[in-house]
Amino acid sequence: MARKSHKQALGVALAAALTLPICAAQAADPIKIGVIAEVSTISGAAIPKAARLAAEEINAAGGVDGRMIEIVEYDDHNSAADAVRAFQRAASQDKVHAVIASYVSEVVLALEPWSGRLKLPMITPGAASDVISQRVHDDYDHLKYTFHGYLASTFIADSVCDGLKVVGAEGLNMKSAVVMSEDAAWTIPLDAEYLKCLPKIGIKVLDHIRLSPDTTDFTPIFNKIEGLKPDVIVTGISHVGVQPTVQWHDQQVPIPMIGVSSQATSSTFYKDTNGATEGVIYQTVSAPEVALTPKMIPFTNAFVKKYGVTPAYCGYTSYDEVYYIADAIRRAGSTDPDKMVAALETTSWQGTIGKVEFHGRDSQFTHAMKVSPEFVSGLLVQWQNGKQVTVWPSAVANGKITFPSFVKLPGK
Amino acid sequence: MKALQILIDGFAISSLYGLGAIGFTLIFGVSGVLNLSHGAIMVTAAVIAWAAAGSLHLGPYLGALCGVLASLAMSFATYLLVVRPIQGSTRIPREEKEIFVLTGTLLWGIMIQEAIAYAFTSNPKTVLPLIPGVIYILGVRTPMQEILTAVVSWAAIGLLWLLVNRTRRGKVLLAASINPRGLTILGFELGDIHLFVWGLYGVLAGLAGVLLGAFLGVSSDNVGTLTASAFSIVVLGGLGSVTGSLVGAYVVGYLETITAYVVSPSIRTIPVLLLLVLVVYLRPQGLLGRR
Amino acid sequence: MKSFAIPVLAALLLALLPFGVSGYVLGLLTLAYYFGVFAMSWDLLFGFAGEVNFGPSFLVGLGAYTAALLNHYQNWPIPVCVICGALVAVLGGLALAVPALRLSGPYFGLVTLVAVLLLQNALVLFAGITGGEIGLDIPDIISIDESTNYWTALGFMTVSGLILFGLSRSPVGLILQASGQDAIQAAALGFNVTRHKLAAFCVSALFSGLAGAMLIFYMGTASPGTVVDIGVGVQVIIAAVMGGRRTILGAALGAIFLIVAGELLRPLGEISTFIVSAVALLVILFFPGGFLGAALHRGER
Repeated sequence: MARKSHKQALGVALAAALTLPICAAQAADPIKIGVIAEVSTISGAAIPKAARLAAEEINAAGGVDGRMIEIVEYDDHNSAADAVRAFQRAASQDKVHAVIASYVSEVVLALEPWSGRLKLPMITPGAASDVISQRVHDDYDHLKYTFHGYLASTFIADSVCDGLKVVGAEGLNMKSAVVMSEDAAWTIPLDAEYLKCLPKIGIKVLDHIRLSPDTTDFTPIFNKIEGLKPDVIVTGISHVGVQPTVQWHDQQVPIPMIGVSSQATSSTFYKDTNGATEGVIYQTVSAPEVALTPKMIPFTNAFVKKYGVTPAYCGYTSYDEVYYIADAIRRAGSTDPDKMVAALETTSWQGTIGKVEFHGRDSQFTHAMKVSPEFVSGLLVQWQNGKQVTVWPSAVANGKITFPSFVKLPGK
Repeated sequence: MKALQILIDGFAISSLYGLGAIGFTLIFGVSGVLNLSHGAIMVTAAVIAWAAAGSLHLGPYLGALCGVLASLAMSFATYLLVVRPIQGSTRIPREEKEIFVLTGTLLWGIMIQEAIAYAFTSNPKTVLPLIPGVIYILGVRTPMQEILTAVVSWAAIGLLWLLVNRTRRGKVLLAASINPRGLTILGFELGDIHLFVWGLYGVLAGLAGVLLGAFLGVSSDNVGTLTASAFSIVVLGGLGSVTGSLVGAYVVGYLETITAYVVSPSIRTIPVLLLLVLVVYLRPQGLLGRR
Repeated sequence: MKSFAIPVLAALLLALLPFGVSGYVLGLLTLAYYFGVFAMSWDLLFGFAGEVNFGPSFLVGLGAYTAALLNHYQNWPIPVCVICGALVAVLGGLALAVPALRLSGPYFGLVTLVAVLLLQNALVLFAGITGGEIGLDIPDIISIDESTNYWTALGFMTVSGLILFGLSRSPVGLILQASGQDAIQAAALGFNVTRHKLAAFCVSALFSGLAGAMLIFYMGTASPGTVVDIGVGVQVIIAAVMGGRRTILGAALGAIFLIVAGELLRPLGEISTFIVSAVALLVILFFPGGFLGAALHRGER
């Protein structure tokens, strides 16, 4: 009997000795997250930076069950083709487990089929087109690996309207508007929703201008808008930002600009426009010094400390994404793509911008972010004296609206 | 009201186009080179002006000066490092020299563009207006910078005219652009002329670049478009003809402005391109050019 | 016969690569092979017909975007889209060639550049349909498997190369070469120079368009940056010049070299394009004959 237990003990010891190195090797196996972004743009630069910050924090706290997170960065040079090549490289060469990709809708739309073909989970921190999630709904089995980690354009437009209702229609007696957007995939649903929700808050849409993203001279456009005499210009710009803003200021166009202006969300924008952005109001999900959530300010401070500038809007979402990807892997207990997808679908993560949850197959926007005051909602922020001041909603506002002297407001 | 706005805006942008195009055509007329790094040199001027004014705190005027100096340097570099070596190369057969120069300047332009994007990123840079604020011309609100653009452009063109028609150097330049061979026979040192014209080009392109930077803002992404715009104008006006380039610039500038104001801003480049196609098919030497 | 041994051996070696080499390298070479066809088509036109086409990306882009639009909006199958793309490219080549051949010197080069500009502008202007600067995604692709894509590209390049090379060494090719180097003499000898140059344009356009269409079905996306931009055209020209003008095969070599070099330098980031352009400039300055130019023409001396 004793000999048998000896043998058993020996057997167990041997088994342990054999598996221990394997366990150790697996524990050391990093979780790789690929980050594909337009690194040289004002908005895109924040994506890899925020992702790296999140990874460092998670690793400092022990990683995911002992596994460290490794961020692999790719610059897609604002081109869908480059992004596709980067994605293929990430999958076959660098063997990443998930990808955080781009703030440009055309890029994400080009990557979406590849995410499905290569079965690689992908989340976007900044693209807005509704089509991203609609496709997941229409072809779930193939495209379920894509998640829309930012607000869909329709929801963004609704958010702008909600804010405009309070600060514009009620606060400034605005009754008419001209919608000015760049001609791109993300503004198609945005504009459609603007045209629907603006009349609902009492603002008549006088005209709807879609400008080429290649435009350098905005004089005729502003001239045309001014001729229509609207009370406000409702914007939808992301690819362009510096030039229309500078020219708006230089030409002293007397109409306020309120709406979506992605580049304006970055703290470098004031310097990039030589201060011309003074008075511009933009919609966003995050702002400096605003405690929308407990995590917002600590993240902003950590980012500023590490990089010297405040993060653009997609920095917040990228940061959250690294965290909830790690969380999903922990819950799934594996990096198997299908298991990760299942875990991501049940995400309920307290992020910097709010509670992140995704719509399911029952919604037309499968894998889109839930938008409401309970989950993620928007803010209106205005540039004042070189600072980004939140002006809506009043619960978190830290300043009053004020415009440069050349802007004429509608009389009472 | 709108007509006046079109008149003023069109004038400003045409003057700017003209400034850039004249330099481009001079180089072709005298050096026989289609400098495809033209856009890159203009953007260099604008970006250096922005950097000098901002990061080095030199203010808009000194910044603009730095920009023009940078463009001058770049112009000489283009001639001495790219154009002259290819033109003088014994390894390239004579009939292929033109193609190699074209390719060479194109490559050089790309190198400059990438260097700018690397050093300054491709985000648009706006040069601080030399004169901020607006002024009302007969009820049309016009930024002062726009007026400055037109004034400086025409001052430069005027000075150029004086140079070419009243000074000895200038007359030699004119002669060289018509018949370089004849000049050598008469004993003039052609090398000097080339350096002179490239220097002149550097100043013109630099001015145009800085003004453009202040008026609309530039980024390294604009390099290709700027080169393309310059040679479109020059093809329209006639390669080698300075007057033709000016005329072409105004045709293009006004066509674009009218389209943008009257039809739609998003199709402003189309009529110009269509005109270009027509010219190329029907009168390839341009309006005032010589074959 | 001896001179064919090396290329045949090389082709065999390349065909065997998927058995030993990573998917990433295969992907890179796949891209390079398509570029090789762009460059070889260009060389036929320039090297032989003597026509400098500054906008090869006009023809490539036409083929690529025709195929892309047809597949994206009409969901036509890949082979149909590719053929349509090639046809449109040929039409485009004809439209370009007819007026352009009447011009000489810098004007011809300008016209080809204008063509690229027009295409670029059209794409950006109708960004709603074409995806503009950033690109258009395509539902169908040739295959997800890297090896399949690699062999498709290699096969395509080999066949195209054989046809183009064969043409260049054929009587037609010799007439082209004569027309290119001395049009007046060729005409004096009784050859219809214009018709031969036109034919060269069409062949060049056909292969450029075909390759462009195949390329986008490999990538699953069509964007101006890969198939239309002036930069693409410049790369094609550099590839052909570096490889050796008038050799056809040299162009393919040049393309492979360029793409591989560009990728090897990728870790350097933005500066990689700068370096590649600088190297190309140096080659133009000091070795205008290119890799094969020196090798093959030495024999002809």
